[in-house]
Amino acid sequence: MNTTVVVSAGAPKMRTTPLARRFGSLVRAVAIIVALTWSLSPVYWMLATSFKTELEAAELRPTIWPHAPTLENYTALWNGSLPFVSFFLNSALTSIVTALFAVVIATPAAYALSRARFRLRRPIGYAILIVRMLPLIVLLAPLYLLLLHAQLLDTRAGLVVGFTTFGLPFAVWMMKSFIDAVPIEVEEAARIDGYPRWQILIKVVAPLILPGLVTTGAFVFMEAWNNLIYPLAFVTTLEKQTLPAALVLTFSGQFKTDWGGMMAAATVTTLPLMIAFFAVQRSMVRGLTSGAVAGA
Amino acid sequence: MATISLRNVEKRYDGVVALANCNLDIADREFIVLVGPSGSGKTTLLRIIAGLEHASAGDVYFGDVRVNDIDVGDRDIAMVFQNYGLYPHMSVYDNMAFGLRRRKMAAAEIDRQVRSTAKMLNIEALLSRRPRQLSGGQRQRVALGRAIVRNPAVFLLDEPLSNLDAHLRVQMRAEILKVHRAVAATAVYVTHDQVEALTMGDRIAVMNDGRIHQVGTPDELYDAPVDRFVASFIGTPAIGFVVCRVDRSVDAVELVADCAHVRLKGTQSRAAQKKAQDDRVVVGIRPERLVLMSELDARRSDVMLHGAVEALEMLGAEQLVHMAVSGGSFSARLARDRSVKIDEHLWFGAAARDVYLFDDNTGLALRA
Repeated sequence: MNTTVVVSAGAPKMRTTPLARRFGSLVRAVAIIVALTWSLSPVYWMLATSFKTELEAAELRPTIWPHAPTLENYTALWNGSLPFVSFFLNSALTSIVTALFAVVIATPAAYALSRARFRLRRPIGYAILIVRMLPLIVLLAPLYLLLLHAQLLDTRAGLVVGFTTFGLPFAVWMMKSFIDAVPIEVEEAARIDGYPRWQILIKVVAPLILPGLVTTGAFVFMEAWNNLIYPLAFVTTLEKQTLPAALVLTFSGQFKTDWGGMMAAATVTTLPLMIAFFAVQRSMVRGLTSGAVAGA
Repeated sequence: MATISLRNVEKRYDGVVALANCNLDIADREFIVLVGPSGSGKTTLLRIIAGLEHASAGDVYFGDVRVNDIDVGDRDIAMVFQNYGLYPHMSVYDNMAFGLRRRKMAAAEIDRQVRSTAKMLNIEALLSRRPRQLSGGQRQRVALGRAIVRNPAVFLLDEPLSNLDAHLRVQMRAEILKVHRAVAATAVYVTHDQVEALTMGDRIAVMNDGRIHQVGTPDELYDAPVDRFVASFIGTPAIGFVVCRVDRSVDAVELVADCAHVRLKGTQSRAAQKKAQDDRVVVGIRPERLVLMSELDARRSDVMLHGAVEALEMLGAEQLVHMAVSGGSFSARLARDRSVKIDEHLWFGAAARDVYLFDDNTGLALRA
């Protein structure tokens, strides 16, 4: 009897019947399937094509899955005429060094923005972000000139400088949000224990924001790895090229495109990104949203 | 010797005055409590003593050394924070050893001190745990341990018990006093809880709106509050106030209101004699001083108050009645077995020495 009273008391709210609930979950399921198909089908196409023979990949009526799966596209990457291993190592080296660079520079900067009280703290914080607002291409010409004068064009070091320029601002803000979450009392306790600021940063703050350091590093790594324009613009020697740029430069020829080989290379290019992303996706979401919600 | 002296200490934030003209002398090994409502500036004052904040004006002395420009880490202080401030990534042992390592102490000596401090606080079994694996009470002990293991000259505590449940709080009060006696350091303790202040402090500084209103022993604060604020802040249930007129038409000075009549004696009479006929004086009276009596007896008493019952509170052993009267309000304690109804008219009497007199304009106590 009580139940009836409660239901009628909440009359404005629509009553959901079991049938309506089932229909609702059906709609949700369909929506999720559509979204997944939409976003994953290119990934599937990349994987499927990478296992097709050259002939099958070039068929006018494409096959949905490889009829005669082969690894020859992958083995060709390592044994072929192109210095694919160099591309991979160039990408890995420049991206990892950029990530380390960005974290090492961003952490003290973020610490100052988070903890120090000085005039212009906010304007400086936003000024750092301005670089982020600009499209990559806008920085291309100035960076080119800087690298030219520094004699860093066509070098991996030059690429690291370019990548860091773009990755650093976001790294600073991301690290700041992690540092903001460290209770100030913990640092004050360390000050009372007699430690100077830089030691507090290393011995107390850094261990507490380790997940943040890793996440920020991974984020910068992914951005550097994905960067296509800077390597195309700054690097002229093919052997010094990174993977994404090399893909563009080598696999689409004037007379023939090696689809299978290109997709195999694309798969290998994607793999480190996937690994980096899945390793840190949890704390990345936390880093991007912390501070947005009280108590987060 | 760790005496602490504050001389005209001021703190302003962007023009807002957080502390004004604070003077305080704390004796060596004294346990002093800074008490006041939130926003009264007590924590700011503590943080200035610690060196975590800088005074905008005025001087802080430890002994006869001016410490304004001495860095936090060099002041030989230890602090316990409201939310403990333990290093989350270190074991209890490392939390306690962290400060000692900074002092380049030999590992064996560090080990000896950490273990003897842990023993004193009964946390030996917890030494290998991380803070997050501890209960609130245990964390509090570790925070105390971390503070005293360095054997500091000054021991600062910022509302250390406010995150604990009531039962544990009472237990930890005794524990902190025990620790204070053992380490022989000067202690400054901040709380908003006047019961904590009265039970723990050798002396108490009552603060409000960035000012120190009164410094004194618990007895002094209770018996001779310097103003209305101190009178109302110290003591539970809170003191009642009734605004009265001075009547000098009789031999002794009398204070009268619709609901009250006070015949003053001795020093209080002399204090009130400085007031003119019909000047307004605030009479303060603590609930525990009022005695329920018949109208006739009440009228014969030096102090008479009467009014209608506005609210009732059951306190277990006794009950508290809140009386609404024109010109103020007051409360009284009654025995449990006296049945009382809302709006019932009650009469109370008290001795003349039990009332406090305050100037109606300044709020300051009237002194002879």
